[in-house]
Amino acid sequence: MAAKDSPLKQFEIDPISNIELGGYNISFTNSSFAMLITVLVITLFLTLTVNTRSIVPTRMQLISELMYNFIAQLLSDTVGDNGKKYFPFVFSLFMFVLIGNMVGMIPYQFTFTSHIIVTFALATIVFIGVTILGFMNHGLKFFSFFIIPGVPFYMHPLLIPIEVISYLSRPISLSVRLFANMLAGHTLLKVFASFVVSMSFFGIFPLAFIVALTGLEILIAFLQAYVFAILTCLYINDAYHLH
Amino acid sequence: MPQLNPEFFVSQLFWLFVFFSFLLVFLWRISLPRIATVLEKRQKNIDENLSSAKELKEQALEIEKNINLQLSKAKEEASQEVKKTVLELQEEVSFKLKTLDKDLEAKILKSEKEILKNKDDQMKNINNEIKNITKATIEKISDLKLPDNVINETIKSYKGNSS
Repeated sequence: MAAKDSPLKQFEIDPISNIELGGYNISFTNSSFAMLITVLVITLFLTLTVNTRSIVPTRMQLISELMYNFIAQLLSDTVGDNGKKYFPFVFSLFMFVLIGNMVGMIPYQFTFTSHIIVTFALATIVFIGVTILGFMNHGLKFFSFFIIPGVPFYMHPLLIPIEVISYLSRPISLSVRLFANMLAGHTLLKVFASFVVSMSFFGIFPLAFIVALTGLEILIAFLQAYVFAILTCLYINDAYHLH
Repeated sequence: MPQLNPEFFVSQLFWLFVFFSFLLVFLWRISLPRIATVLEKRQKNIDENLSSAKELKEQALEIEKNINLQLSKAKEEASQEVKKTVLELQEEVSFKLKTLDKDLEAKILKSEKEILKNKDDQMKNINNEIKNITKATIEKISDLKLPDNVINETIKSYKGNSS
């Protein structure tokens, strides 16, 4: 298969304008453009639909309120009253990933969540934030998080390293989950799209499959954003209640 | 795999930081407070409506209680009025009956007196007639001319015997 037709070609980054700052290449790329669109869609939607501030909501206002209540409920279910402080962050994270995934579903549009560096950065923000939160709430007692209560002491030399590794791998699992889902979905779509062309008349079968797969991908786009948000909530909860 | 090409890592991180920070601050400061205001306003409105409905219900119950109280009061008053009227009527009737009885008694007495008087008169007349008949009969039979008082005495004595 020629590099031109590679299903991975859609993930290539093309600079739109070359910018350099302090010796670093910070070009505005198609990835940055997708982020810009994502942020614009979120901010405009959430601002314009609630502009009238009507007590009886319009349909669009209802969508904004549903999203608000969805995350508020998620946060209060997992973290409780402590979680209110982190609502703007979790909500932004959820909306950023969700709309980022959805923007990626538009044909020929770039999916920035399919880039490990982006998802890893988001996961690292969560990881570092939650770790700082844990130390702020519990001081050095935070390390007792790695000691599982009720386990015989001679098991600790084995279990503590496992707990530490599992804690440290949180940002990796969080970021790889999102990145891999997006990568696999878009690659699959692209592979079947190339079948449509190569199979000429019988291309209608892969086309039908793409239609079904697009529905599934939209579901996954939502699901991954939800998973990202709920895991963030759970990590915040862990920072409050060690066990 | 383009994802592992570090050429644009810095650029991606930079723009991610810029856009995500902007999004976070914008939502935190502008969008979310707006939605929260609307939701609070709605909840407040619902609470107010609920509490005013509760108040109105209480008022309605109070009014119903009052109406029932007044209704039972009115019923009692009406029944007392009926009782009073019945008693009054009974008194009036008995009074009228009494006066009627008196009148009747007086009338009866008067009538009895008249009857007695009439009876006496008639008896006198009858005695007179008897005397005359007796006198005439005796005169026809015996040519005896008896004085009236003798005849009267005889009749009287006879009457006395017969009785």
